[in-house]
Amino acid sequence: MKQSLQLAGVLLALTAGAFGQTPAPGAGAGQPAAAAAKPITDVDLKSVDTPKPEVRAKGDPDGSLTGTAADVAIADAKKGLTIADLVNQAGQNKIAINFVWTLVTGYLVMFMQLGFALLETGLARAKNANHTMMMNIGVYGIGMLAYWMIGFSLQMGGVGAVANLGGTPPLSAEYAFTLFGKPFGIFGQNGFFLMHNGTNDVAVMVLFLFQMVFMDTAATIPTGAAIERWKFSAFAISSFVFAAFIYPLFANWAWGGGWLSNLGTNFGLGKGYVDFAGSGVVHAVGGLSALAIAMVLGPRIGKFTRQGKPQAILAHDLVLVITGCLILAFGWFGFNPGSTLGASTSGNLRIGAIAVNTMLASAGGMMSAMFYMWVAYGKPDASMTGNGFLAGLVAITAPCAFVNPVGAVIIGLIAGVLVCVAVAFFERVMKIDDPVGAVSVHGVCGIWGVISVGLLADGKSNFGSAWNGVNGSVTGLFYGDAGQLVAQLIGVSTLIGAVFSASLVLYLVVDLFVGQRTSAKSEMEGLDLPEMGALAYPEFDLTSRGAEV
Amino acid sequence: MPNIKYSSHEREKSVILVGIVVAVLGFVISLLSLGMASTINGRLVVVLLGLGVSLLGIIGLINRAYLKNPIWKR
Repeated sequence: MKQSLQLAGVLLALTAGAFGQTPAPGAGAGQPAAAAAKPITDVDLKSVDTPKPEVRAKGDPDGSLTGTAADVAIADAKKGLTIADLVNQAGQNKIAINFVWTLVTGYLVMFMQLGFALLETGLARAKNANHTMMMNIGVYGIGMLAYWMIGFSLQMGGVGAVANLGGTPPLSAEYAFTLFGKPFGIFGQNGFFLMHNGTNDVAVMVLFLFQMVFMDTAATIPTGAAIERWKFSAFAISSFVFAAFIYPLFANWAWGGGWLSNLGTNFGLGKGYVDFAGSGVVHAVGGLSALAIAMVLGPRIGKFTRQGKPQAILAHDLVLVITGCLILAFGWFGFNPGSTLGASTSGNLRIGAIAVNTMLASAGGMMSAMFYMWVAYGKPDASMTGNGFLAGLVAITAPCAFVNPVGAVIIGLIAGVLVCVAVAFFERVMKIDDPVGAVSVHGVCGIWGVISVGLLADGKSNFGSAWNGVNGSVTGLFYGDAGQLVAQLIGVSTLIGAVFSASLVLYLVVDLFVGQRTSAKSEMEGLDLPEMGALAYPEFDLTSRGAEV
Repeated sequence: MPNIKYSSHEREKSVILVGIVVAVLGFVISLLSLGMASTINGRLVVVLLGLGVSLLGIIGLINRAYLKNPIWKR
């Protein structure tokens, strides 16, 4: 047992060395016990006890025999256990922890697809339920294949070493041009089909899975703004192009080593554009794309009177809506904490703070939206309370790793009010029919999240002592760095000016060749039969089919 | 009458295209802030100007063009 403890001590010491952390003050010199410690050699490891096979055969009810020196992988059976084996095991354990963390959180983000599906379907009318669910499952498969073929490469093909995942060395080719005397990374070039240039790699696979579910989250946002009138064939083509080109390009600029992430190193603007888990990359890209498709499609029949006054078109199932919101909030615990891409290595222990910030902001958003609607309209509207809940989550997605809990609540509270005001603005002023509030929740509050980094990042986070290649912690205007706010605003300008425009051009081109909107007859009948060939609720056929609202 | 409607439709399309160009121009202005200005405040002003131009293109031109002949008036 004593030798086992010695071995544990060696492992701990080696682990600290492997992770490159500096010793704690006071350790080493001046501590007689440490100075007198005898270095442990390979010979010492020979005498480490391991459970005998006959003992192991009796079982291990208290867990004391499982996970011992016998479980350390040995490179050379003749030499037996060596210190080199221990060092390698420590390194592999770090990467294994990070792989498992990233994969499991990725699975949680994938589960958000169900949240979106229920939320959107609940807010649609019963006669469009099958069509809405089909769009939500369709975008998963269509988007994934487009991303696998093209999008992932454009986004991450030049990201370079992702140290948390063991390096990802094959992702090393970024196309860049020179502007203002500085390199501007535009897109990655390695990783097409996950086979190109050595990208059939274990770390690349983990990164692909995590990034793919993020892309799919963005790709499913426009469907919410387009329900009840989007032709399925046009949706399929549009989603493919969105996943292959539009999302990956902005994601490259922000996360893949592109020009926005380098605004700090190249132009001295804070730590460059900072968007920890994607208020901008995922939500604003999806939300602005949702605005573009809502414009191209136009409002649903009956949404506005002939005088242009908006009419309420009621959700068919508020139970689905709130269930969807809660599933999304659960998935967000993968979305934000998972964006560390690991749980081991300095800074990654912020995962707890990130998770708490995430839930606090959602509570702030929910509360402020609920009370806003209660005061303004006399009742705490369920769908807007749900939207406020999501607005807080969307807004905290970019700053979750860089703000303190008070900042997180402030961000959520503002988002909750913002989403209510934005829904009214888009409906009454711009006459945009956005049945689920996707533009307001994801577009507007996504942009707010990006800006909030530039205001409220408190400079206390530490992810390897640098971010985007700039030493120090991310710090916003209120904590002393105005340059960070400028970097964030350049990101916002790129989203509004470039991403929205690219999305609009995409939808207009598809409209030109395929037509984006279903016929008025199909829309009146409900899209389930004309577009999908089957009703979601056949037993409701006699009462709901062909109904105006 | 059909000719008038057709030309009106074409004009809306043109305004939408102009709106897209203006929205992209706003982005370009923000980008140029990196080369045009060297101070944080200078860059902030130019970026905000770019944002304003993009919003003008989207709300003032593109959205307005779509509201010329909306579905609820047909």
